Order: sequence, then C-alpha cells, then structure tokens
Amino acid sequence: MKRFSLAVLGAFVLMLFAVNLYAADLELAIPLPLTGSEAKFGEIQKRSYEIAAAEINAKGGIKGKRLVLHFEDSQAKPETARAIVEKLIGNKQPIIVGEYTSSCAKAVAAVAEERKIPYLVVASAADEITQKNYKYVFRQNATNAHYADAVISFMTQVVKPKSMAIIYESTNFGTSGAEDMEKQARKLGINVVVKEKYEKGAVDFKPILSKVKAARPDVIYMVSYVMDASLLMKQIKELRIDAKLYAGGAAGFAIPEFIQNAKDASEYVVTATLWFHKLNYPGAKAYADKYKQKYGDYPSYHGASAYSAMYVVKNALEKAKSWSPEDIRTALKSTDMMTAYGPVKFEDKDGYQNQNFHETFALQVLKGNHELIWPTKYASAKYIYPIPAWRDRR
Amino acid sequence: MAPHIELLLQTLIAGILLGGLYALIGLGMALILGVMRIINLAHGDQMMIAMYIAFFGYDLFQIDPYLSIFIAAPALFLLGVGLQKFLITPVLRVESILPHNQVILTVGIGMVLSNLATVFFTSDYRSTPVSYATTAWYLSDYWKDAPIELSLSLPWSVSFVFSVAITALLWFFLGRTDTGRSIRATAQDLDAALLMGVNVQRMRMLTFGIGSALVGAAACLFIPIYYLYPALGKQFTNIAFVITILGGLGSVEGAIVGGVILGIFESLTSTYLGMGWAPAGRFIIFVLVLIFLPGGVASLIKKKRFAK
Repeated sequence: MKRFSLAVLGAFVLMLFAVNLYAADLELAIPLPLTGSEAKFGEIQKRSYEIAAAEINAKGGIKGKRLVLHFEDSQAKPETARAIVEKLIGNKQPIIVGEYTSSCAKAVAAVAEERKIPYLVVASAADEITQKNYKYVFRQNATNAHYADAVISFMTQVVKPKSMAIIYESTNFGTSGAEDMEKQARKLGINVVVKEKYEKGAVDFKPILSKVKAARPDVIYMVSYVMDASLLMKQIKELRIDAKLYAGGAAGFAIPEFIQNAKDASEYVVTATLWFHKLNYPGAKAYADKYKQKYGDYPSYHGASAYSAMYVVKNALEKAKSWSPEDIRTALKSTDMMTAYGPVKFEDKDGYQNQNFHETFALQVLKGNHELIWPTKYASAKYIYPIPAWRDRR
Repeated sequence: MAPHIELLLQTLIAGILLGGLYALIGLGMALILGVMRIINLAHGDQMMIAMYIAFFGYDLFQIDPYLSIFIAAPALFLLGVGLQKFLITPVLRVESILPHNQVILTVGIGMVLSNLATVFFTSDYRSTPVSYATTAWYLSDYWKDAPIELSLSLPWSVSFVFSVAITALLWFFLGRTDTGRSIRATAQDLDAALLMGVNVQRMRMLTFGIGSALVGAAACLFIPIYYLYPALGKQFTNIAFVITILGGLGSVEGAIVGGVILGIFESLTSTYLGMGWAPAGRFIIFVLVLIFLPGGVASLIKKKRFAK
C-alpha cells in the first residue's frame, strides 16, 4: 500500500513538473474541417501546419517557446467554426489561424473583428472576407476574383474564345467564383452562353451538359470541389462535348485526387491554382518533397499556404513588441517576406484590406500529371493546345 | 431544329437511365411499407453500408462492383432480417404515446449506421475508378451521317439493365412463388393471412430482408457511376420516400413507374429549368401528389383495371 501511494505521489510530482515544462510553450489551436465533405482539404492543411511547426521547433521555436499545435474539427460548418473560435479567444489565444471553406472563414472573421483578435486567413477565397473594412483580418491567399488570372491570360493569349459556359456549385465559393468569371468574360467580350449552378451531391450532370453541348461554347469553366469535378469531366467525355478548353477554378481540379478519379477524362483540363510544387520559391521544393515523402503525394496550394502561414505567424510574433492582439496586428500589418508560398505582404488596395496580392498560375493535366503551363516564365511543361477532340483520343 | 431534338432525346435517355436506378431504390422501401406498414427511413443508410461493401471489395480484392451485388445483396438481406428481428419487432410490441414509434426507430438506426461509418471508414470521399467508367456508345459510330449525335454510357446502361432484371425477378417471385404469394397476402390483409395459415412473423422478416437486399443491389449499381461518403444515405432515403409516395404507398408496380417518372422529371427540369431546381422539384412533386393523387400512380393503374 505504501509503495502504491509513493508511486501515486511520484506520478503527481511528475505531472506538476510536466505542466511546468509546458508553461513555456506557445499553444495554438487551429480550426479546420477534419471530418465531413471538406475533410480532404482540412487534412492537407493539418499535415502542412505540422511540418512547419516541427521545423520551427527544431530551430528553437518562436522566441524560445516551443510551438504546440492543436486542431479543432469545424466539420465545414460555420456555426461550429464560430463556436471554436469563441472558445479560443476565451482561452486567450493571441492570434487565430486557419479554417478552409469561405463560409466558415467569413464566420470566423466576423468574430475575430468583433473581439479584436488578429485572424490570418490561409485558403479561403470569397472576396468579401477582406472587403468589409475589417482591421484584424488578414488574408494570405489570393481572392476568388484573382484565382483565374492566369487561366484568363492563357485564354486571351492562346485560346481567344468567343463564348463560354459556366457550371458551378451553389456554395459561397462556387457562386463567387462563377460571378467573378462572368464579370471578367464580359470585360473581354466573351459571350457567356450557359451559366448553371448545381446542388452538391448531384448524381447526373448529363442533362445540363447536353444543354452546354447544344450551346457549343469555346470554353467550359467549372467551379467545383473534388468529386463533382471528376464526375463533370467523366460525363463531358461520355457526351463527347468538344470545347476548345476545359477549365477549372482551382479547388477540386487542382488536387491529385481529381486525376485519380476522372482518369483519362482529366487529360488536358486546365485549372487555376495559387501555387505549384515545382515553383522556384525558396523552401518550396524542400517542403513539397518532405510532404511527398511522408504522405505519398505532392501537396496542393492549400498545404503550401498553411505551411507558410506558420512562418508568417512566427515572423509577426517575433516582431511584435508584446503578444497583445494589438501589437501582433501591427506586426502582421508590416509583414513583407518571402515564403515557400511566394511573397507575402498585406496591402489595402482595390477595395480590399490586409490582402496579400500574389501571382496565380494555370496547370494542365498532361499524361496524367498536373504541370504548370502559365505564365510561361514559370512553366514546368509546354502547354498542349489545341487539344484533340474526344473522338480522336485513344 | 436538330440540336433541339438532340437535346431533348439526350435528356430523355439520361432520365430513363436514372429513373431505372431510382426505381430499384424505391422498390425496397415500397415493399417494406406495403407489407409492414413501416416507412423505413434507414433505407439510404443501408444503401451506404452496401456501397462500402462494394468499395472495399474493389479496393482490397479488385472485385468488380457489379459482381459485388452477389456479396452486398445477401449481406444486406442478413442485416435487414437482423434489424427486423432484434430491433423492430420488439418495438412493435411496446405500447407508446406515439403511434409510429417504429418509424422513429428506423431514423435512429439510420443515424447510428451513418455515424458508425464515419467512425470506422472516416468521412473521406471514396470511389471505384473502374476502367470502363467513361466508355460509351455513340450514334455516329453506327450511323455515319446521323443528323444528331447521341451517346449511351456503358456503366449507366449496365446498371439500368441489372435494375430491370432484378425488378423482373422480384415480380416473378411475388407473383409465381408460394412465398411471394404469402408476402402479398400479408400485405393485403394481415389477419386474413394469419387465418389462412401464413406465418406472418416470418413473412415480415423476409420482406425486410428482401427490401434491404434490393437497396444493397442498387448500391452496387450506383457506385461505379457515383461516389461514396458516410452521410450520403439521407439523400437516397429522400429519393426513395418521394418515389414511394409517388408510386402509391406500398405498391410495387407504382414504385417502378414512380421511379422512372422521377428520373425523367429531374432530367427535364435540369435541362430546361436549371439543375438547381431538380431537388426542389422533387419535393414539389411530393406535395402535389399528396394533395391531388393521394393514392399515387398505383391508384391510376387500379382504376384502369376496374374500367375494363
């Protein structure tokens, strides 16, 4: 009995000691969709945050403190994301990082602004998040309006289309992506002949695609998450809809799962993206290789942005006079650094506040792999255009 | 003119193929409702379980999803019999304030199934990228100067043919075999069937099993052309529910016609109104049928028979 109580006492002392050790840690909880339909994207980001944190800790942490990450599952539900962030602010976390879907990021941004806690948006696209005169909300990734910049410049310089069909998912991300594209098309004198939204979970796209086929557009532009992206391309192949260009608005089209599911139907599809693992940014290759070695695939822009966000946070926390939200905000605002994701600098312009404006890229699926094709100065492979008709493919 | 005809025909093809699959999903629910007077709201979740069986068969053992019918359907039959015997029958005997507590039970079963799937299989999206996923036949390959181009997808057609074959088998079973007749007798009049010496308890168990096996088969027909995640059941429960109401509560013939009508209706609304309207249209039909044709399609079929 005596020995037992001694053991208990020992364990207790050890626990106290452990708690003491951890007091020097910087704990950061990150809200992400880890279950539910967006779990795939949440997972990519979670892994990337972890890789960055491990690197930072190996080099002495942030101001001598070890960075300890926790992840909270928001299930891509705005109300859950909101509740998580309320809790984190209650725990006196000095900065919020993360979330993925635009709907969730919007909810989190509203809370952060109201409670005056800096929030760094990592991979959420809807334009309005940084258009609301929020002082505490910063966004590292390009907005929806700029997602397709490279695809559009590829279109105007190479494809020169006269008409376009837009198919998009009826979510915040899909709707704003489709509307931005329609605006751009109008500016360029491209006639939008079909613009159709669909409910997530649709089984059969053939009716709507038949309508697209009858309208004979030069370009078919789609904004979808991953499974719908491959269903759309598979059914386009089935119906042999020959457009000059099939283009995707990032998200579902830009990750390897798209090619795995759509198989040969994904060939020649061009997609917007914000980052590519063959880019010549410092640290990009090292990060991408590390990720591939651990998880078997190259990461998408979601991961690269998450990975670099940790360094942006580190930079801000090291520069800040104190770790009060106000000082961290000031430090974030003065960020001007190069990361694996590209240059990061938060600017107020064109109606945006605290927005990082960076270059975007176009990928094309060539021989079953994504290759960067536009802008040509970054290209990893020469684009193929015109693309062969479905009938002639074997 | 030709493009318009092409659009209409292609839409109708899509609608009929989709309708055939819908019919098979609705059939199981209609059968169970007819015999047991229970709306099985776990129907879609049972389908989800069968889809996981087909998925793992493909992923681990390279079994073609269509062959998985012979694994998934018997497995679902056992699952159905088990649910009926150990969960639904005991609840039927319990006196409660709510008259239809067994329906509430099926909702619970559905939730448990989908949450268990999330725990065990994670909520990742899965699919079986079969090699023939995008193979199709084209009119212009057979008729060189065709004024219009139509295409017929191989996996969709195979699924459709299977669906029709299974429906025909069920028809034969219900109409020509002793067990089938006993099931129909139980559906028509439980007390009379009991008096005629039908083992009603056994028939109910069998029905729940067959209804589950049908949706299990439907699952294997769906997975080559669709994808899979744990929360997918609700959507198909809704579809089956609408078909059952449309077909006339519990009528097997009605469910088949109802499924095809719904498939064609959804395709037509997608093409001519917009795809966002298809799910809304589904429920507009539902409400309209309840108000103006409470007996569903089955009441129309019956009326015609009496008129002869």
